[in-house]
Amino acid sequence: MIKKTDEQISIPMVVDVPFEFAAGQYLSRALTELRDNGKFFGVKCPKCGRVQLPPRIVCAECHVKNEEWVELGLEGKLKAFTIMYLPLTDPTTGKPHNPPFVYGSVQLDGATSVLDHLVSMEPDLDKIWVGMRLRIILRPPQERIGDLSDILYFEPLPGQKKPA
Amino acid sequence: MKRNVAIIGGGQTYHKARRHDVDQAELVNEAVRAALADADMTIDEIDLVLLGNMEFFEGVHMTDCWLVHGTGAYGRPGLKITTGGTVGATMVCAGIHHVASGLFDKVLCIGFEKQEEGDTGAILSGVAHPLWGRSMAGAAVGYFAMMGSSYMAAWGAKEEHSAMVAVKARQNARKNKYAHLKLDITIEDALNSRMLSYPIRMLDMCPASNGACAVILADEKTAQKRSKKPVWFRAMDTAHNEQFELDWRDVKTERPIFSKVCASRMYKKLGVTNPAEHFDVFEIYEPATWAELVWYEDLGLCGPGEGFKMIEKGMTNIDGPIPVNPSGGVLSTNCIGASAMLRIWEAALQIRGDAGEHQVPKEVRRAFTTAYGGTNWTVMTALSKTLDD
Ligand SMILES: [Zn+2]
Repeated sequence: MIKKTDEQISIPMVVDVPFEFAAGQYLSRALTELRDNGKFFGVKCPKCGRVQLPPRIVCAECHVKNEEWVELGLEGKLKAFTIMYLPLTDPTTGKPHNPPFVYGSVQLDGATSVLDHLVSMEPDLDKIWVGMRLRIILRPPQERIGDLSDILYFEPLPGQKKPA
Repeated sequence: MKRNVAIIGGGQTYHKARRHDVDQAELVNEAVRAALADADMTIDEIDLVLLGNMEFFEGVHMTDCWLVHGTGAYGRPGLKITTGGTVGATMVCAGIHHVASGLFDKVLCIGFEKQEEGDTGAILSGVAHPLWGRSMAGAAVGYFAMMGSSYMAAWGAKEEHSAMVAVKARQNARKNKYAHLKLDITIEDALNSRMLSYPIRMLDMCPASNGACAVILADEKTAQKRSKKPVWFRAMDTAHNEQFELDWRDVKTERPIFSKVCASRMYKKLGVTNPAEHFDVFEIYEPATWAELVWYEDLGLCGPGEGFKMIEKGMTNIDGPIPVNPSGGVLSTNCIGASAMLRIWEAALQIRGDAGEHQVPKEVRRAFTTAYGGTNWTVMTALSKTLDD
């Protein structure tokens, strides 16, 4: 189909590219633990001590091999967040996330890195703040596939109040 | 540097949301012809052509091959480099390497993007790890929104402060005939613009622009002979960052992150202890308002948590003591592959005194530029009017 735009021709096209991504040794182990046991593991750098998530073979800062696996908590602290008002497409499903929705970066207990995911809550600035405690809600074991979609969302721990 | 390197010419296209009047080669050629005219050179004099843009933003790969007629690379050495939002500065950085090494005397560097032809958000989602975080990827706006919420929580800044950055950028852009978003806006306009991703509103974000920039670099001998106003590179550096880490969104971080590491190495090379005093103008890469405030701090123009006070006091206005982005910056024009090169070209124009209406009203001898891209990395340059400066 040819579309005419001010006598300048432009032709709409779509590219659909299949590919197969290898998770590798470290991430495969971490995602298997998530899928089969509902657990999160980080790897601790022997030099700087950072507990990195997702687990990776080499610490970027120190360039030494990470070998110590550390089980992380399923709760953590919100480090940064946004309330999204745009109907962003989820690139892994091709479907839009329904705005407005909250998502943020959460530092799981025991980790140095953060994990970005949806936060299940009202998009209300009075109820969300940097520093609040959240917990991970996972899919039921039989529905997990071994990627981050095994996390349904984070939810705020009950009994917290936004600091004045 | 092994050999001194200067910018001896440059040019840019008009930047717009829609450039269906040209194809990619025609767009690139506009900037190339402008740069050659500015340097008073012909393409035959160029020894090497470097081209940069984002992979697939235009729906095509290998632009270095099929834009050859537009770039002028036919029959001569050339390279294509892609490094994300930094790509325009990486082109210049690679060009400097090639001249400083002594292998080439005259290098043409080109950066371009024709964002209207592809789906930038969809292609950007390919930058995210397929199994770890891609479901939330696809737009830079969410990233900078988290930076904004973290900045406000850490330092007590308000949405008004980001609005001040939005206004400064677009009011400066009105003085720049090549800029894309020339908006006569007020702080109220910015605060009332549509919320995209709290706390980022429409006017807090850069546009998707089409455009190109080209600069010609030369060695000292050629520059002295051929150019009335050579602008000299005094230092350049680049620093990469690590994926999956909070870094720029954790505005209180004490980790040696890309922006601070690169700036401190630059200042060390130059012997600079007070950058705000040493440099006369800054052109920095701010895709969102909050990023500009964090750049002030990471570049050491003020202390941690004081960036929002700088904008409040008008310190970085075009006529302020530390002008930042008199061109209108990335917030007013973002043709990705050209954006980081535009920072360098605009800095050179300021030093030459050729910036026209957006020339800062003081003597400009030294300028500093930053680029930003990918999963957080930067390319920085320092430019001077003379070699002994
Ligand atoms: Zn380490």
